[in-house]
Amino acid sequence: MSPRELTFHIFRYDPETPEVKPHTQTFKIPEEPAMTLFVALNKIRDEQDPTLKFDFVCRASICGSCGMLINGKASLACKTLTKDLPSDITLFPLPAFKLLGDLSVDTGTWFRDMSVRTESWIHTDKVFDETAQEEKMDDDLSLEIYEAERCIECGCCVGVCATANIRPNFIGATGINRVSRFMLDPRDKRDEQEYFEVVGNDDGIFGCVGLMACDDSCPIGVPLRGQLAYVRRKMAVAGWHRK
Amino acid sequence: MNSYDITTTDVLVVGAGLAGERAAVAAAEAGHNVIILSLIPPRRSHSSAAQGGMQASLGNAAMGKGDNPDVHMYDTVKGSDWGCEQDVARMFVETAPIAVREMAHWGVPWSRVRNEKRMYEGTEIVEDPEKVGLINARNFGGTAKWRTCYTSDGAGHTLLYAMDSIVIKLGITVHDRMEAIELIHDGERCYGVVARSLRDGELHVYIAKTTVIATGGFGRLYAASTNAIINDGGGVAMALNSGVVPLGNMEAIQFHPTGMVPSWILITEGARGEGGHLLDKDGYRFMPDYEPKYKELASRDVVSRRIMQHIRAGHGVESPYGPHVWLDIRHLGEHRINTYLREISTIARTFAGIDPVKELIPVRPTQHYTMGGIRTNKDGKVYGLDNLFSLGESACWDLHGFNRLGGNSLAETVVAGRIVGKKIAEYTNDATLEVKSNLIQEHVNKVSARMDAIRARGKNGENWVDIRKEMQMTLELDVGIFRTGEHLQHAVSKLSDLYERAQNVGLMGGGGQGADPELVNAMRLPGMLKLALTIARGALERKESRGSHFREDYPKRDDENWLKRTLAYWPEGAKLPELKYESITITEIPPGDRGYGESSGKK
Amino acid sequence: MYLQKALTKSIRTDFIVEMVQMVSGLLLVLFLWTHMVFVASILLGQSSFGALAGFMDKYELLPVTVVVLIFIFAAHIGAIMRHLPARWAEQKVAWRHAKMIRHKDTWSWLFQIVTGFGILLFAFIHIVAVTYGGISVSLSKGRIDNPGFLIFYAILLLMSEYHASVGLYRIFVKWGFVNRHRLDRVLGVVTLLMLVIGFVTLGVFLTLKVAGGGVA
Ligand SMILES: Cc1cc2nc3c(=O)[nH]c(=O)nc-3n(C[C@H](O)[C@H](O)[C@H](O)COP(=O)(O)OP(=O)(O)OC[C@H]3O[C@@H](n4cnc5c(N)ncnc54)[C@H](O)[C@@H]3O)c2cc1C
Ligand code: HEM
Ligand code: SF4
Ligand code: SF4
Ligand code: FES
Repeated sequence: MSPRELTFHIFRYDPETPEVKPHTQTFKIPEEPAMTLFVALNKIRDEQDPTLKFDFVCRASICGSCGMLINGKASLACKTLTKDLPSDITLFPLPAFKLLGDLSVDTGTWFRDMSVRTESWIHTDKVFDETAQEEKMDDDLSLEIYEAERCIECGCCVGVCATANIRPNFIGATGINRVSRFMLDPRDKRDEQEYFEVVGNDDGIFGCVGLMACDDSCPIGVPLRGQLAYVRRKMAVAGWHRK
Repeated sequence: MNSYDITTTDVLVVGAGLAGERAAVAAAEAGHNVIILSLIPPRRSHSSAAQGGMQASLGNAAMGKGDNPDVHMYDTVKGSDWGCEQDVARMFVETAPIAVREMAHWGVPWSRVRNEKRMYEGTEIVEDPEKVGLINARNFGGTAKWRTCYTSDGAGHTLLYAMDSIVIKLGITVHDRMEAIELIHDGERCYGVVARSLRDGELHVYIAKTTVIATGGFGRLYAASTNAIINDGGGVAMALNSGVVPLGNMEAIQFHPTGMVPSWILITEGARGEGGHLLDKDGYRFMPDYEPKYKELASRDVVSRRIMQHIRAGHGVESPYGPHVWLDIRHLGEHRINTYLREISTIARTFAGIDPVKELIPVRPTQHYTMGGIRTNKDGKVYGLDNLFSLGESACWDLHGFNRLGGNSLAETVVAGRIVGKKIAEYTNDATLEVKSNLIQEHVNKVSARMDAIRARGKNGENWVDIRKEMQMTLELDVGIFRTGEHLQHAVSKLSDLYERAQNVGLMGGGGQGADPELVNAMRLPGMLKLALTIARGALERKESRGSHFREDYPKRDDENWLKRTLAYWPEGAKLPELKYESITITEIPPGDRGYGESSGKK
Repeated sequence: MYLQKALTKSIRTDFIVEMVQMVSGLLLVLFLWTHMVFVASILLGQSSFGALAGFMDKYELLPVTVVVLIFIFAAHIGAIMRHLPARWAEQKVAWRHAKMIRHKDTWSWLFQIVTGFGILLFAFIHIVAVTYGGISVSLSKGRIDNPGFLIFYAILLLMSEYHASVGLYRIFVKWGFVNRHRLDRVLGVVTLLMLVIGFVTLGVFLTLKVAGGGVA
């Protein structure tokens, strides 16, 4: 069987040259066995247009650099095999993030801001003691924390979220998941009211309208629906108790 | 002349992986102003890709009982084939347990000892009830005890996220998408760097009392590597370009036994640590024949060579991407595979369409780690230039000698981060911030002249894509696992040609304006070739076999002549690196037999 | 955090508004379904419908219901306005977004907004008609006989049911009470049931032979 010819329709826009309007450009390449979009995009850049911008780092679905809209679905380009796609492939950058050019968006700045706003670090008064044995923790709990911590900050859940696209300050499912990660962690001494101040509002859990585009898009399979509901319930209780 | 803005700070850290961030935290905690530069957002650094774990002799797991820094020390030195600095290794093994616990304090959800029995290789493991809930460890190659602390399949990810959370907490400034390209120095002291924004292509000058390079490894010089695609050695090349800073042991390149064919994505050693087997084309488990004691878990250099040896003997599985062997984890069962080795099953499913619960995974030794790098003393201070430090995979602190043990490099990043970070803080206390403006101008001009020349050559220049590919293939074929004088000589002359051609690199696409990715890559090319040449030349000159450096024409370790470290310099205008040697610090364990590898066991 | 925001906003506002939205939504669903059952009493025969209508009239329940209802509607609309892509530009973003990501639930939300406004308009007309006309079998029948009103009711029915079932679905999903995909089906069945009852009722009205005026 002769290989398929793949036709890519790729969004092009360079903020440096705003006079050139956003458009899609078409590229054709022959398909190879086990070809991923990482391989395909590099082939296009190496052989057809060296100016094409996109981001890959680990090419192994670990680092979260390569989220984009692939035929409308947000996912990691590096883990998408062309054989799972029709021969016409449309690629758009993730919405909701600042566009740096073509398929490249500034997820880094967004996530940093989210981390600062959700104060994503262990809040503790304890001072590290070099000579002491570590505190014990149940392995099931550590697995549970890890489950939430598996988020790789790819931004797919943010890109597809209608709320995040409309409200720039919304922390998205990833932000809410992040908060749940610290809520689970006994090392963090914040109480429910302190968490409420962080997420008990419209930029946090109460901004979420429950469309679950996030849950349908997370390429890592972080259980976002469960995490959103967990935080919502906790925050409802906190909101109820609040003076 | 290009315009640029100048930022000054106490400590400038180039690289936001684990090593860079840990050092930045140490400096910031001591009250210094710190700025970190990174090609990418910090959490995307390659440290996040380490799935296996980090070594520290906590001795909590039943199979790690009785472990202590001395045992760790012995494993490390033996693993390095006596190529490491023993005073460094001693500091390292003593600090590793503290570093692991500190990371727990900062939030890493380490996997803990569980109150349940399990079978491992036919024996039952029963955990000590006293230890339940303490940090667990798994088995890794080349270690006498189970010592590798892990978080399911995401050790590097959780470490980096915890570390970065502290960077955020301390309010340390990070400039991401900012590539350092030139050290500002006067041949004696380093004053900072010239960097280029990957957002808009503008040049930025950073002036610092102390500059730190923590830019990670450079595996992407090879055609098949497990490394991230940004690991092309920019930071290390920048140091070499100074003309006065030497790179240590560049020929010491680690090949991981199990890169998945053909994407070369790593299947972590955890797979074998958990009890995975290597099979040949007949489904025969061959490692016990070669390494009766350690089997699949001898050190990486040995397992990689044994696989290649077995393939050469005609037992490999043929494929369009060359012969390979199989990794078999089916017998571990669905539950273990999907819980503790989930990343592996995801990778096998996604990138090869294989279900490891039922099927075999095609693997072959693949470039994985660079033991060599910017040579520093035990405080992390770089040879040749004052006010310059380096740590992590980009440095040759020399903990790993000629072969790094799996799990020792994540540990190195946070341990060195602690130790070197403190030194950086102390050093910065006494340092001043003064620099002549014409020195800055000189270095900025150098960078912009290079950019202008590339732009001017345009389509008349060389295509960087072609040169890079040839370089990668040359290293792959001639400077791989088995090396000979003839091939190495070929590599050196081929790479020299490519280096000459790289001087004429142009642009095939646009005009190299703004953040044009082609200009970024074209700028990196000459530096990559310099590194490739230090590797090939170092390997050609080292006429012995030690650790991962295996010469078929000199198959024995030669302590009499070669118990020394290569130092590669690149003087201004030279066409080839200049090699010097220094002695290795041996404080406690004299050179001996490794107990695995060619000197023992069956051939 | 901006100064003005920090000074003016009670930190609990968003939470309270969210609860108001949900509770009002639930009450409206409750109303919708009771209302449906109520109207469906016609299926049991004219006299039961008539009895109910008479009961309502006797205790002046109609005006009370209307007032309470308007109140709930107001609360509901007030609460939802904060989530809505209200401004035009945002509307465009939301629609383009839904088109781009081709995601079923996202579309259902946009349709919910549309149906919400549709209900607002239709319910207004309906309430006016009911308030000024009163409820009785013949009056109802009279309205139904007019083909314009028939279409009117059919559309109102469809919109309300769609709106209510999507709303319920999202409440359950948001609070994590049930598995999404199973819920999807359960609500689908409920909605279908309600629609069938509704349409059969309309049908009964249509074929009804009014036996001399309403019940006094
Ligand atoms: C697939 C894989 C799995 C691994 N698994 C394990 C394991 O299980 N256990 C273990 O111990 N080790 C493992 N290692 C090795 C270990 O992950 C690395 O050695 C270690 O993480 C390196 O950390 P680092 O901080 O030195 O560099 P990195 O994490 O690579 O960070 C480098 C940083 O430098 C920045 N940078 C680079 N160049 C420039 C420049 N020119 N200007 C500005 N910034 C720059 C990058 O943006 C990045 O932030 C693994 C390695 C790989 C490839
Ligand atoms: C029959 C009457 C109605 C019923 C049964 C009803 C029911 C519901 C329910 C249950 C919800 C979900 C609430 C939540 O997610 O917390 C909802 C949401 C909504 N309703 Fe209604 N509603 C009715 C009338 C209206 C009207 C008149 C409007 C007019 C604007 C409206 C607009 C909306 C909108 C836009 C939402 C989505 C809000 C969001 O999640 O952001 N509804 N409705
Ligand atoms: S469920 Fe919430 S966070 Fe997820 S896509 Fe919908 S609105 Fe966004
Ligand atoms: S939650 Fe999932 S989709 Fe969202 S950023 Fe994290 S990994 Fe990406
Ligand atoms: S490149 Fe790292 S996730 Fe795709």
